[in-house]
Amino acid sequence: MSDREDRLRSLLNKVRAKRPDERSTQAADVIERIRTASGAVPAAQPVETTPPSSAGSSMPAGSAPPANAPLSSVPVANAPTPSPLPLRSSSHPAHEPPTSPTVESPTRYSSQPPRVERPLSVEPRARTSRPVSSQSAPVSSASNEPARPASSQPARPISAAPGKPEAIRAESAAPTGQPVVFSTDAPEFPRPKTFGDLLELTLSLRPR
Amino acid sequence: MHDGRFDPSGFYEFNLGGGTVRTRNGDRVMVLSEGVLSSLVAAAARDGDLTPLRRLGELLGDQVLAGLDRPASVLTPEAVLGHVSAVTALFGWGRLTFERWGAALVIALRDKPDLDEDDLGAAALLGGMFSQVSQRQVSCVPAGDARFIMVDFEVAETVWGWFKDGADLPAIVGMLEAKRAS
Repeated sequence: MSDREDRLRSLLNKVRAKRPDERSTQAADVIERIRTASGAVPAAQPVETTPPSSAGSSMPAGSAPPANAPLSSVPVANAPTPSPLPLRSSSHPAHEPPTSPTVESPTRYSSQPPRVERPLSVEPRARTSRPVSSQSAPVSSASNEPARPASSQPARPISAAPGKPEAIRAESAAPTGQPVVFSTDAPEFPRPKTFGDLLELTLSLRPR
Repeated sequence: MHDGRFDPSGFYEFNLGGGTVRTRNGDRVMVLSEGVLSSLVAAAARDGDLTPLRRLGELLGDQVLAGLDRPASVLTPEAVLGHVSAVTALFGWGRLTFERWGAALVIALRDKPDLDEDDLGAAALLGGMFSQVSQRQVSCVPAGDARFIMVDFEVAETVWGWFKDGADLPAIVGMLEAKRAS
């Protein structure tokens, strides 16, 4: 902690030398915060006043809330009206269009790919659970993760923060103890990955 | 996958001295009021020749293609939609979205100008635009509620007949099935 304080103090002096009026208060506040933390601050935790080069290298993967990334990157101007059946690249068949030939409601497309995929892929336990059975058992596609007791899970400041989704463990199952079974049946309407696939599908339509 | 978003900045170049408006591709365009255009389109629909509207749609498709760095067929539907809807909006043709009804791709065009009663003008425009974007000849058939179902040229007349006979979009989709075109 003393090394860190020294480093910050030298930075503060540099900043003061350049812009004494603007930055002194903020930097002093940061030093004061670290001091009062008295060792509770992890060594790798980024500090706002560190230079960009060192801050970038020492920033932990979870330091930026992953849930904020997709929200901030969602386009506002071009975004069509949200749909109850938005196209997502999740492979769960429950999101597929109705299998009946008579389709009553459409699957609507958003003009940008769903940005939620990337953060979820690195933070699989941040996925929200979704009931699939009559017992409303929470389940997610991350449930094939190896079982791990809750006590052995590594500390995750982000996922443990209040307001975040509760971590989903591999032992997630119906309250009755029955395992949750996933269907391997392919959906009747294949999910097009590209616009070309979508086009092929619609252009192949012929009268019955 | 292509993740580039459409950049509308500098799309139009206004030359007050020269009295021209050009897109950033160099195409000269003109601004028409909805009332004037609707009378022209209505006349074209009565005559059964909507070729100018389809040609206009192809020009819009060219604008879309100019913003893509790869063929539209290899891009995600969302990426194509982003560019198509932006160009459509910049030309004042409304708010375009994609919907998927079963296997059918449906184009929804909200807040479009009221041109003709049967929406054939907008259908011709969309057909031209998506033919250009996809580099295939496609038809967009009006299906009610500002929606247009995209089908092959060969079945467009049949689908249009179903709609004129009173079939709504779910019924039309139900009367179609995916087959390999012969």
